[in-house]
Amino acid sequence: MWKPLKVIIAREFLHNLLNLRFTIGLVLCFMVTVACIIILSHDYRQELTDYSRRVNLHEEFLSKFAATEGISVFQMTPKEKPPERFRPLIIGIPGNDTQDSLDENPLTILFPHLDFLFIVTIVMSLLALLFSYDAVTKEREKGTLRQMISNSVSRTTILLGKFLGGAASLLLPFLLALLVGVLCINLNPNIQWDGSAWAEVGLLLAASLTFIASFYLLGLMVSTWSRSSAVAMLNCLFLWVLLVLVIPNVGPYVSAQLRRIPSIRETERREEEVKRACFETRQQRRKEFDEQFRGKYGRLFSQFEALGFGDQVDNRKKVEELAAADSQFKAMVDAFRSELARLGQEGRTAQNNALGELWADLNMKAAAQTRLAKSLAAVSPLADFVYVARDLTGTGLRSLKYFAESMQDYMFRFGKYVSGVEAEVKAAYKNDPTPEGGWPLDLRDHPRLVFREEPLKDKLGAALPYWGILGLFNVVFFAGAFAGFMRYDVR
Amino acid sequence: MLKSIIKREILSNLLSYRFSIMTVLSTTLTLASIFLMYRDYGLARENYEVLASEDAAAVIPPTPLSIFAKGLEENLCRAYALSLGERISASSKQQSVNDLFKLFTVPDLLYIIKVILSLCAMLFAFDMVSGEKEAGTLRQSLSGSLGRPILIVGKWIGGFTSFILPFFLAALLGAIFVSLQPKVAMGPQDWARLGLFLLSSVIYLAVFFSLGLLISCLTHESSSSLVVSLFAWTLLVFLIPNLGNILARQLVEVPTVQQLELTRRHIALSALMEVNRLPDWPERKTRLEQARSEQDQLTEDYRNRFARLVTLSQNITRVSPTAAFTFLATDLAGTGIAEERRLKQAVVQYLSERGDDQEPDRPRFSYQRTSCRVVLGRGGLGNFLILVLFDLLFIAATYVAFLRYDVR
Repeated sequence: MWKPLKVIIAREFLHNLLNLRFTIGLVLCFMVTVACIIILSHDYRQELTDYSRRVNLHEEFLSKFAATEGISVFQMTPKEKPPERFRPLIIGIPGNDTQDSLDENPLTILFPHLDFLFIVTIVMSLLALLFSYDAVTKEREKGTLRQMISNSVSRTTILLGKFLGGAASLLLPFLLALLVGVLCINLNPNIQWDGSAWAEVGLLLAASLTFIASFYLLGLMVSTWSRSSAVAMLNCLFLWVLLVLVIPNVGPYVSAQLRRIPSIRETERREEEVKRACFETRQQRRKEFDEQFRGKYGRLFSQFEALGFGDQVDNRKKVEELAAADSQFKAMVDAFRSELARLGQEGRTAQNNALGELWADLNMKAAAQTRLAKSLAAVSPLADFVYVARDLTGTGLRSLKYFAESMQDYMFRFGKYVSGVEAEVKAAYKNDPTPEGGWPLDLRDHPRLVFREEPLKDKLGAALPYWGILGLFNVVFFAGAFAGFMRYDVR
Repeated sequence: MLKSIIKREILSNLLSYRFSIMTVLSTTLTLASIFLMYRDYGLARENYEVLASEDAAAVIPPTPLSIFAKGLEENLCRAYALSLGERISASSKQQSVNDLFKLFTVPDLLYIIKVILSLCAMLFAFDMVSGEKEAGTLRQSLSGSLGRPILIVGKWIGGFTSFILPFFLAALLGAIFVSLQPKVAMGPQDWARLGLFLLSSVIYLAVFFSLGLLISCLTHESSSSLVVSLFAWTLLVFLIPNLGNILARQLVEVPTVQQLELTRRHIALSALMEVNRLPDWPERKTRLEQARSEQDQLTEDYRNRFARLVTLSQNITRVSPTAAFTFLATDLAGTGIAEERRLKQAVVQYLSERGDDQEPDRPRFSYQRTSCRVVLGRGGLGNFLILVLFDLLFIAATYVAFLRYDVR
């Protein structure tokens, strides 16, 4: 079996190599990949410079203006994620930090990004179909398939040979272009990738090969179920449009219709309603409480009420004097204050619980909608590959969430450090009058934000299910091609 | 003679498998897209009604034409207000919490036409000549008294008519569906814009159809035509618009929005800190005014550079008919870059004049989207003419190529 298989692989490989589509594929891959990587590397350098400038602005602000009073030192803390290390390959998803800016850049909305994901999902998937749609039909039309099968070559061997030889000829331009691109990245002094980054590149490449192979097998499958190359081509392109252009983009919108959730603004409006309702309840309970005390203490309570319950500074002294003079008055005031504190605490707890439930409900619905959207889109190999690629390289939603958690942790550590320094300074100058603007703080040793990527193990764990689905597509399409070819009429 | 060729072409297409696939694709996608985007418009409308009832500072209702070309509608329909330090901020809180929208493209009719139907148009035409040559029927057709000019014109008209008809009917059905919905109120201007949008779509698709036919006249095998057609499609639809934007960014340096916001904040906070150390009010006032002037200058500089970037980007990317069509369609729908810029200017003017005035009888923010005539006058007609020019160029090239075509 091996000799005929090797011969078929070599034949398929050479046949494709001498074809116009290989030349076109090679030119396209090279042109786009190399141009993309060079331009994105340049962008990455600019973003790194930009990010450093923002960090320096923060340091400058802290050194000039950090003080015990006045503007909070947290105002200038850079909250944006540093540029992803895979930015030269894949453009990350923007965070929410500048969405409220009037000057947000709208250009990126009108045209999709051109990066490695585009090259694999659009260019390579299309090329894969182009290489494979007539793998069987063309040979049948030329009459060579009949000749091959009339010898002692099994159909399985032929199919396997076509897949391996064809896929190899398809992947050659892609791998060559990628090699040149990766070389450019390696030679760039601004891009320092460590061992784990290269491991991620390797995994990304493996995922890309899985994705491209799935489309090659799809084309092969369609070819084994069609009688002519023209019909096979139309069917392939129809499926490509569905799987690449339609299903992934429609998924989020369908999920938004099936699992409706209120917008954040709508939830904020409900939040205000809850707060208003809680406030009215508190007012009502306070009235009842006052009535209760009036009924119990009579004249004493009226006296206390006339002094505004000691809430104002002037009246507080009078209340203290009366309490010192009259033990009954004192007992009433203590009981009143204790009950009021308990009432206040109850009210706050009730409000917090109601608000917590409201936001938890929104978050739960949002998570359900996102899960549904992800599941619907996962029917397309493109969506699966996008999830895998973005999770592995830290350029996706998971990475944004991870950064948000890291940022929270950093703000906690930074806040703790600043409180410590403030406490020391206040203790040192406790006997001196505080100058206007407060005592200056020396925050030179403050903790710096050093964002470390999520461990590869965790990223892989998140990516594996979708990678598994991609693998499943390969198996299904190969099984379909096998079934089609076994029944194929070669005459 | 021409009529019989057109009739023959239409009939042979109607009975072909290709026509069935394209019809199913274009009809299903057009109707599904309009339905989905109509539902999305409904959600946007609900959000607007919540904000309008709360008397938000500056917010405009979504336009019904965003059902067909969403463009920058989400940006346009944000609520703008003055925040701390008289900074104008846009609320992003009307938007969806589903982050998956960030990963994929909006499937509006504009996307369906510019990406999917343009591919379909090329696939309809790529083997009209080379395929007939392979089958041997081209030689037969020309062996009689039939002239090449009549044959190629007949093929173009017959082929394009059979391609565009299903899409046109689907788009018309979609428009009727939208007009019957109670949530959608389309005035005469909106209908005029929609009409122009559909007309420009037809011309845009004709560009790709002509290009497919041209490639067919330049090659002798349908497999070669297919490969070259797909290469040309990828180049015109994806590569040139994107590379054009990237190139523009290399030529006009614009700082990022994060940089701009942080620098503005730094100026404001530095001024506030310094002001505390100044002895009297006139000096404090001068320092605050100086800071505000610095911020305004920084913002002005950023906006000027950004405007130059947008203009350069548009000029470079117009080399691709897809980019020209995108700009035209979004401008006609009132969801384009020019509309966004105009709205921001109106918001800045309104909020600067209003300041912190909380009086209930202050004039509310009102804004009318650009009229059709102005859209056409300010570059819309230029984009339209670019599409027509591409059409004429490809049709002329097809004509010349076919006259010299070896049919043996």
